[in-house]
Amino acid sequence: MPLLHLLSPYRRPAAVFAAVLVLLLILDGGRGDLLGSSLLFSLFQMFGTVGPVALGVGLTMLIGEFDLSVAGMVGMAGCIAVMTGGDNPWLGLLIAVGIGLAAGVLQGWLMTRLKLSSIGVTLGGLLIFFGISYALTESRSIEYPNLDVADVLGRKLVGFLSIPSLVAVGLYVVVALVFGMTKLGRDLIAVGSDRRAAVSAGVPANALVIATFGFSGALAALCGTLLGYSLASAAPTGLANVLVPATTAAILGGVSLAGGTGRPGGIALGALTICLLQAGLNALGMSSYAHEILVGLVMLTIAILDGSRFSIRIDELRLSLRRS
Amino acid sequence: MSAILSVDRISKSFGAVAALQDVSLTLQAGEIRALCGENGAGKSTLVKILMGIERPDTGSIAIDGTSVAIRSPSQAQALGLAQVAQELSVIPSLSVLDNIWLGSAQVPLLHRRRAFRQRAQDALARIGAGHYDLDRQAGTLSIGECQMVEIARLMVRDARVLILDEPTATLSDTEIEAIFAAVRALKAEGRSIIYITHRMGEVFSLCDSVSVFRNGRHIVTKPVDDVDRAGLIEMMLGRSFEDMYLCRQQGATGRPALAVENLGVPGVVHGFSMTVPRGRLVCIAGQVGSGAHTVLRALAGLELATGRVSVDDRPLRLNSAPRARAQGIHFISENRAAEGIFGRMSVADNVIATRLPAASRLGLLSWPRLRREAARLIRDAGVDERRLGSMIGDLSGGNQQKILFGRAIGQTPGVLLMNEPTRGVDVGARAEIYRLMRSFCEQGFGLVMTSTDLEEIVGVADIVLTIYRGRLIGRYEKEAITMNAILTDITHPPALTRNGINEAAAAS
Repeated sequence: MPLLHLLSPYRRPAAVFAAVLVLLLILDGGRGDLLGSSLLFSLFQMFGTVGPVALGVGLTMLIGEFDLSVAGMVGMAGCIAVMTGGDNPWLGLLIAVGIGLAAGVLQGWLMTRLKLSSIGVTLGGLLIFFGISYALTESRSIEYPNLDVADVLGRKLVGFLSIPSLVAVGLYVVVALVFGMTKLGRDLIAVGSDRRAAVSAGVPANALVIATFGFSGALAALCGTLLGYSLASAAPTGLANVLVPATTAAILGGVSLAGGTGRPGGIALGALTICLLQAGLNALGMSSYAHEILVGLVMLTIAILDGSRFSIRIDELRLSLRRS
Repeated sequence: MSAILSVDRISKSFGAVAALQDVSLTLQAGEIRALCGENGAGKSTLVKILMGIERPDTGSIAIDGTSVAIRSPSQAQALGLAQVAQELSVIPSLSVLDNIWLGSAQVPLLHRRRAFRQRAQDALARIGAGHYDLDRQAGTLSIGECQMVEIARLMVRDARVLILDEPTATLSDTEIEAIFAAVRALKAEGRSIIYITHRMGEVFSLCDSVSVFRNGRHIVTKPVDDVDRAGLIEMMLGRSFEDMYLCRQQGATGRPALAVENLGVPGVVHGFSMTVPRGRLVCIAGQVGSGAHTVLRALAGLELATGRVSVDDRPLRLNSAPRARAQGIHFISENRAAEGIFGRMSVADNVIATRLPAASRLGLLSWPRLRREAARLIRDAGVDERRLGSMIGDLSGGNQQKILFGRAIGQTPGVLLMNEPTRGVDVGARAEIYRLMRSFCEQGFGLVMTSTDLEEIVGVADIVLTIYRGRLIGRYEKEAITMNAILTDITHPPALTRNGINEAAAAS
């Protein structure tokens, strides 16, 4: 059954998603606050913001690296787009995404050329992007005059989607297809699984690392631009904490920090899980720190279930049960 | 026959070190050529040059008589040169099919799955591995199966010269047979094979001709029919070779250094018992996966195990490595890189790593004392003292093993456990390691080793225990130690008697 084996990477992320849904339903206790009409819309609005960044960070994790700089890039790209796109939003988008792509490629090139760790390089990138945003905006929040754009971006489409969330969904579909059907996907998995082995098999690992960081930078810039346009303003600190939910989404989606595991579909499910938790808790009227604690608990539970100690214990238990 | 590959007067230096000097070779189509030499003889430099990883300083390479410059691995691939490196490049999270096509220049961006499946399947079938499931995850394959996948990968790339670097180093006998069959099938298709090995037996049973390298020079190339074992070893070492193995200990023995009763590791080892007399070298013989390695790991406290074990008549509580060490059990792993050396630290730091408490006062390390201690230990282990400051990862496998040996035999030696003591160690250093092991035994300590190399087992052991699927099969001493008996036990043992031991063997 070739189809079944294609589904296997998604089993765990799907189970986590279901578990979170059950947890929320229990917290709701039958009052029905949760399943109000706006839950799905706000879930996908969040997905439109967190989703692309999670995809970028998740892909860098999948190839065994890590992109810290996305948090800075989202803010910087937002500022750049709002400042340059006043007359033509497409121009702002193009400039911002272009800069994101270039910055990512540059970081990837530094890593592969000088054999540096991605954590060090992207930490540098993060601080530089923050610095540039502050310099550009003189540390103030800047307004985006073109309110029509914000209006268009916030409009509901097909019931619960909007342009940002449609873009996010579309990106995931494209990347999932690339992974499932092309040589490029296999090569990326090989690079993340065992860099040395991939190189000696003839995979152009350095080029793939550079491209992945470029993609991650471009996605972060896209996310920052859409956010800036929707809110009709941008600030240097815009969404500076996006790195935590994005990384969490990737890990929930089955991507390990060691690289090589996890698939785009898994990252999508992970991001949806994070957004569901957030949107659900908002709908239930819970405070934001309750949200953080809950996400922490979910992560901890997964870490424990995944740990080798735990599975050894389970195996031992099974063995002793069979013997008795 | 025509020359498919010819290498003409190649030299390569790294700084002041001449890795290859004036090397010329020709390889015919359909020839299996063994490449022999000690570590550092220049074999791997030659392979790197052929694979486009290094460039020669002088000299030229010709393929089918046409002179070529190999500037990159992808160019080597296009020219039909390919290698299976010692460290395999199979990606565990991809399927067998994807691994076979990985990195191939022929695959378009979108997979044309059916055609490519068929060609991968053909390649596997031609080397006798047609039963492999193409959709199986490579991570679930054994090392031997991974080797076959790598060979299939070279076949779909239509490589004409295949370089295999010690492909059988970690394989069981049936897997070795599969590799041999695959190599012969490649030869039958007219492909040429360069076969690098430390195992003499394989040179004679598999290869057509042998090229010997020593100190960066190509010494000689001869058909295997024109050389014998002793002559080959002599050419590799450059001096006449006194018997590598030392005579067995025959005298009376004292009290046991180590007694093991009913050792069990769930799923791997079942009811294993043995006694190790003082001054004897005991060898547990078994194939890869037989549980031999696990027995020693369990005794060293590295596996969860049950059973009664005593060291010098004092009972040992299992399942703790520090406790085992405190009672005088020292363990040297078969996996030097992961469990032996600290690769990026100096030789001195490595050799004293386990005895820092002894050389410290009030928790402060005394560096002069440590330095003296380190110098003494590596002198005892037969390594040049000037190496103390070098990074251990840069040393040869043989020297690394000697340093680990020096670290294990401390001021409180009791029992030394060694898994595969000569894996990745060349012929010259092997003899020295056997001598170290023997002198350790002669001081009245017990030594238990495991090995998958039959020749080594018969050569060095005083007592041989055979193990099959985690159970003790037989026990042999003195003249009863023969290759045949051991080989039978570890591959297809006779039916077990009630107490689990082959009685015919036990009676001898």
